[in-house]
Amino acid sequence: MAAAVSFVLLGLGLVALVLRRDLVMKLLALGLINSSAILFLLSVGDRPGGSAPIQLPGETLIMVDPLPQALVLSAIVVNFAILALALVFVMILVERYHTTDSSRIEEELAHETPEEDEPCL
Amino acid sequence: MTAKTVRTILAIGIIAASVGLAAITYLLSFPDPDHSQRYLALQLEVTGSSNRVAGIYLNMRLFDTLLEILVFSVAVLGVRYYLSHASDVPTPSLSESGVVRIAVNFLGPLALLLSAFFALFGHLSPGGGFAAGVIAGSAMLYVAIAQGMEATEARLKPHRVATVEKAILLFVLCWVLLPVVLGRAPLTDLLPKGTAGQLMSGGSILPYNLLIGAKVFLGAWLIIAAFAQHRGEL
Repeated sequence: MAAAVSFVLLGLGLVALVLRRDLVMKLLALGLINSSAILFLLSVGDRPGGSAPIQLPGETLIMVDPLPQALVLSAIVVNFAILALALVFVMILVERYHTTDSSRIEEELAHETPEEDEPCL
Repeated sequence: MTAKTVRTILAIGIIAASVGLAAITYLLSFPDPDHSQRYLALQLEVTGSSNRVAGIYLNMRLFDTLLEILVFSVAVLGVRYYLSHASDVPTPSLSESGVVRIAVNFLGPLALLLSAFFALFGHLSPGGGFAAGVIAGSAMLYVAIAQGMEATEARLKPHRVATVEKAILLFVLCWVLLPVVLGRAPLTDLLPKGTAGQLMSGGSILPYNLLIGAKVFLGAWLIIAAFAQHRGEL
């Protein structure tokens, strides 16, 4: 069930990424897509009646699969890095074009002549 | 065909594909992958860590974690570099709330304590270095909200913090390459495994958790400081 929900979240995230013009909303959509990937990985590792993968020697437990949980950690860290950097780029774009609307930024970029096109930083 | 129509058709296509995938996933059941069974069968003896997730990402798949640390470091470097070159935008300060200040003064140290617990016991219970670092970074954000950015920056000066953060990264890289000097394979755990379930167990997992916790904490603080400096106000 959780895996199915993850695909619904993925769809919502992709739709928001394509349809929303606001750059900050696009970043939030990226976060939603990342969350859907995390939910999918966790659901793949799920076992019926499984407990957390913490076990002492001699204990016999039905555990959920720890491997996808370890992979999820990578997904979280990479998502954090991407979002932090992307947010900085959005801030720079907003300072330059005074809008978070991606269509307006594209229009202004199209009207800029090559001479005006300074190196970004 | 206008851009709006293209976007609408694309959105309908994505929704249809997502619903289809969701339905297929709901109807299918995932078999247990053989690799996971291998990890489940061997890990306690190999890593000595009760927390199997920590055992995987800090012992059996340590190479992945090293790359994660590198990705995090690059993100911190990028945020600091681009924000230091962007023009500052002073933001009008918001009115302060006494309730927030008192609550934050109470919650900040508690969060730091929780962070230390997560880093120290990450190989025995849920937690670990990454979670500990993020909690500590949030705690410092609380403190900065309560006591002001200037006072907090005076305690944790960003340029010194940046040096320590890079030093931790170098130390971790040297630590994982040290076995090569001793004639063993890189990433080999040199510390004794100990008895699983006790604090001094899991070999290098405990030091790794502490180092990663410190690194993520300092990195998070650097990002917070860069954003605050750019805004002119927290």
